[in-house]
Amino acid sequence: MEAETIENEDELETFRVEYLGRKRGKVGALFDRIPELDPEERPAFGKAVNALKEDAQAKLDAARERLQQEKRAAGPDLDLTLPGRPPMPAGSLHPLRETLGEVSGIFERFGFSVAEGPEIEDDWHNFGALNFPPDHPARDMQDTFFLKKHGYKKHEDAPTGDDSPQQRSSENQDVVLRTHTSPMQIRVMETDEPPFRVVVPGRVYRNEALSYKSYCLFYQVEGLYVDEGVSMGHLKQTLSLFARSFFGEAVETRFRPSYFPFTEPSAEMDIWWDAGAGMGGQWMEILGCGMVHPHVLESADVDPERYTGYAFGMGIDRVTMLRHDVTDIRTLYENDVRFLRQF
Amino acid sequence: MKISRHWLDQYVATGLSDEDLAETLTMGGLEVDAAEQAGPSLEGVVVGRVEQVRPHPNADRLVLCDVRLGNGSDTGETAQIACGAPNVAEGQRVPVAPAGTELMLPDGDDGERAPVTIETTDLRGERSEGMICSAHELGVGEDASGIMVLASDAPVGWPLADHLAERGAAPSDTVFNIDLTPNRPDAASHIGVARDLAALTDAELEWPEVVSPEEGGETAEAVSVQIEDAEACPRYAAMLVRSVENTESPAWLKARLTAVGLQPRNAVVDVANFVMHECGQPLHTFDFSKIRGEKITVRTAGETTPLTTLDGTRREAPPGTLLVCDAERPVALAGVMGGANSEVTAATTDVLIESAYFAPRAIRRAAKALDLSTDASYRFERGVNRNGQVWAAARAAALIAEITAGEVVPGLVDEQPQGPPELRTVTLRPARVNDVLGTDLSPSEMGSLLTSVGMKVSGDRPDEPGETTFSYVIPPFRPDITREEDLIEEVARLHGYDRIPAPAHVPLPARPPREDPARRLRRRLRHRLAGMGLREIQTNSMLPIEQARQFLAPENGEGAPNDDVAQTLNPISEAMAALRPRLLPGALAAMRFNRNRGQAGLRLFEFGHVFRRTDRPGPTISGEASRVMPLRCYAEREALLMALAGPVRPGGWGTDAREADFYDAKGLVGHVLAFLRVEDATMDPFGTGADPNFAYGLRLAGPGGAPLGIVGKVSEGDARSFDLEGEVFAAELRWEALAEAAAPVRGRRYEPPRRFPAVERDLAVVVAQNVPAGALRRTIEQAGASLLAGARLFDVYAGEGVGDGCKSLAFALRFQADRTLEDAEVDAVVERIVSSLEEKHDATLRG
Repeated sequence: MEAETIENEDELETFRVEYLGRKRGKVGALFDRIPELDPEERPAFGKAVNALKEDAQAKLDAARERLQQEKRAAGPDLDLTLPGRPPMPAGSLHPLRETLGEVSGIFERFGFSVAEGPEIEDDWHNFGALNFPPDHPARDMQDTFFLKKHGYKKHEDAPTGDDSPQQRSSENQDVVLRTHTSPMQIRVMETDEPPFRVVVPGRVYRNEALSYKSYCLFYQVEGLYVDEGVSMGHLKQTLSLFARSFFGEAVETRFRPSYFPFTEPSAEMDIWWDAGAGMGGQWMEILGCGMVHPHVLESADVDPERYTGYAFGMGIDRVTMLRHDVTDIRTLYENDVRFLRQF
Repeated sequence: MKISRHWLDQYVATGLSDEDLAETLTMGGLEVDAAEQAGPSLEGVVVGRVEQVRPHPNADRLVLCDVRLGNGSDTGETAQIACGAPNVAEGQRVPVAPAGTELMLPDGDDGERAPVTIETTDLRGERSEGMICSAHELGVGEDASGIMVLASDAPVGWPLADHLAERGAAPSDTVFNIDLTPNRPDAASHIGVARDLAALTDAELEWPEVVSPEEGGETAEAVSVQIEDAEACPRYAAMLVRSVENTESPAWLKARLTAVGLQPRNAVVDVANFVMHECGQPLHTFDFSKIRGEKITVRTAGETTPLTTLDGTRREAPPGTLLVCDAERPVALAGVMGGANSEVTAATTDVLIESAYFAPRAIRRAAKALDLSTDASYRFERGVNRNGQVWAAARAAALIAEITAGEVVPGLVDEQPQGPPELRTVTLRPARVNDVLGTDLSPSEMGSLLTSVGMKVSGDRPDEPGETTFSYVIPPFRPDITREEDLIEEVARLHGYDRIPAPAHVPLPARPPREDPARRLRRRLRHRLAGMGLREIQTNSMLPIEQARQFLAPENGEGAPNDDVAQTLNPISEAMAALRPRLLPGALAAMRFNRNRGQAGLRLFEFGHVFRRTDRPGPTISGEASRVMPLRCYAEREALLMALAGPVRPGGWGTDAREADFYDAKGLVGHVLAFLRVEDATMDPFGTGADPNFAYGLRLAGPGGAPLGIVGKVSEGDARSFDLEGEVFAAELRWEALAEAAAPVRGRRYEPPRRFPAVERDLAVVVAQNVPAGALRRTIEQAGASLLAGARLFDVYAGEGVGDGCKSLAFALRFQADRTLEDAEVDAVVERIVSSLEEKHDATLRG
């Protein structure tokens, strides 16, 4: 009575019929012989046959259980390799907005508030209050889009750039698409009391020819910290910490002198960027920064003798391109699904 | 701005390698963008010694030379070189280009050069393993008559470039391209850069010797200068050089100019350019014979004045342009470009040198108005040395005289109507320097940094106990330094930004960081939308005016006749002349882009600002400081756009592909409202004509009636204008209003779930086709009153069993209360609902 070799349902049935089958089963045949026996031998024989029957049944059950387990282990009657049903088709977040959020997020963790502002600005907030004098070459640093001024008369809108303090609230000043998110420095300081510690993410515009490296608009994160006793050392430390959070602990930074009308001293922060794969490395300009110029504080009625501060601004498109190996800035605004789905 | 290394070395000897020099300048605030090699490459060319000269057996005009190229040892490597030069001789040290060297050899008579690789050749049966070169062939001189013979102690085997460099005659040069910031006009010249370099490396700055002439003299008799606008032209100096022979410039001068990217013209003009790039003072030279009346007048144009400038262009100088005139006519656009009528040519014999100080603002306005930027206007706009005019004029006069055998007319005209300026004095508090920078510098350290770039201490005075202040006299070449911060920056950059210590701790201001709740919501919603299968896009805010007008919808559903699209006055192109009034056109353009690339199913969203010109501005973008648009004539707000087209999901083995329809868009909007917990929003249907861009749809409004946006089918015309086949559905929502209406989760109070079981009843009614389900639902809700906990529409059916022109709507009703409901109570409410439906909508119970 061998059940260990049973391998499928058919053999199982064969085994059952052979031993336990009602008609021709071997165990049944033994029971059938009981009446032929000496009555005294019957109980012992009956007992032995019963034991045999139980044994056969147990072996059968064990074999059936074993077969079932084998079958369960082999899997259900479903084709488990068919593709799953996705709850939703795939969506994606734009890498620019993600980088923007990540950069602001790091500064938020450093205790900065977040403010956003209008993209249409007046000359005072975009330039004048930020210490860009009228007719100053510093204005050439940012090619500006001008909009029609107040009123609906035609041809009266030649850009001028008059931003004497008397003009700051005038409706006659130029209207521009903001060239940086720095105007929010002024708006924050105008509406609040120091200390200020705020980052301003947003879209800015430059009137530049479109090419692989420049687009008519881009994203920027501006930062401002004004308090008593803020020094350039603090600026260096905070921005280095930012670089390490964003680019990784090992990143090397350097600060070198630069010029922005609204900060002094002004600096650029570079990081050492290794292109990888033996391409070598180079210093890459990542952000502009500096100590808030006293003129700017004065423009917003903040006492520059009591308060000092730093400000910084970084282009988001550039670092987005850098980290994702995008070589043409226009790719970011084309919205090719084959691009978007990679993020 | 280009700075030549050799030229720079004339004024300051640093001994730095090109790389270190670039690094020093960059870290000192003069950013070196790029360093390029200029002049001939002498790579591979070495010093060789002619050991033996013997006749070529098969050529009369050639000799065979054994030239030793190895260094020092007598057994050094020698090469056999065939040479045809008449001056070759044994024992000479000569430049040798061994086989394999690439030279830029003169090609023909036109002076052009082409690359040639020197090879081992067979010259009439004799091997020649290189080339002994002439100065002309190497590009290091003009002499082409024979080979270049080097000094007898030239080290054999050395690279020729190193040998020449050691003798101060290096022919190749490094040109640094400096990205000069607008605040540093003082560094717009070689001496200016040298001054910084000397300060940064503690080296000595050497100025060329110039003898300054006395004012007046013969010059003042020969020419008179009158300044009519002393504000725009505070100073005008003039000198004369007579009897010049205005030939080509000598090689050294040409080399200087070509190194900085200028085309040499003639000696006089070249000297003027040279002096500008040397000291930063733009000069202009006139052919004195063409100056009528021997008189110069500097005045402001009262009317539009035509003048043909040196570049041959006839220009119209608008009123207000500063002009340099002779007795009869304008001869130059002051500080920008000279006139062709007084141009110095090869025939010029008498030269009038103009060295003026023009006010930055006047020149910038003129250059802008003329749309003409020149090396001169670049420097005047930024501010040249206020006192540098006489030095520059004298330097130029001396050089012109020297090169052209001319004669400097003694004396000088130096008009300065308001007298020489007083030098500015700026006060510095050393304690403030350390406060701002976070440094611990002593006053004397600061002092030596500042004096190294020309500041002079005019005195110190104890202000109060413990604090000393210093007064610094600012040199006239630093117009950028007007207040203490400017000096602090000087200290910082000369000390080195990298030496400012970063403190171990940075302070945390005692105020909680704030975040606009709308921003938080937006961040979460973006992730939610991506999770629901939408792709975030970023589209251009600018589009053609006509297209923008196509999407200018009446705000708040009312007409505003004065509204228009916002336009830029100076667009990059017609295609980007207006600002988007809605996000929709950007999304449609993105759909077109992707459809053209084989993408059928598109589900997109974008957050972005939209704009309009209006005389009735509304609230604008979120952000605490800018709740209200500051500019009266523009309205700007943030919008959320969602757009769907094509298959909503790809078909699969268990799912059917289905085209997006209106209910997908509506469902998305419903989900957004639910996510934001905007309660009690209303949705009012509209048909064609109600909105310029939607064929039909729903207008959303908040509890107080505030418009929240629109969802619907994009009109066929608009879809077609973007080449989109098939239907496009979109929702354009007003983000600030939505965020305002959102109920913050953090303010939510917990309601325990009801303990008593709900009773459910299904109700199917038949109504006319045109009865909207929304109306039925409102009736059910009103009639169901407080016991009705929910009414879910689960079936809409029209066809067999329902009368023509009718449809059946089936609702699952749910009743619940704070007690166990009796069947009879529920029956009564259902009865009430049914009779309300019959009464208001002519509905019949479906049997």
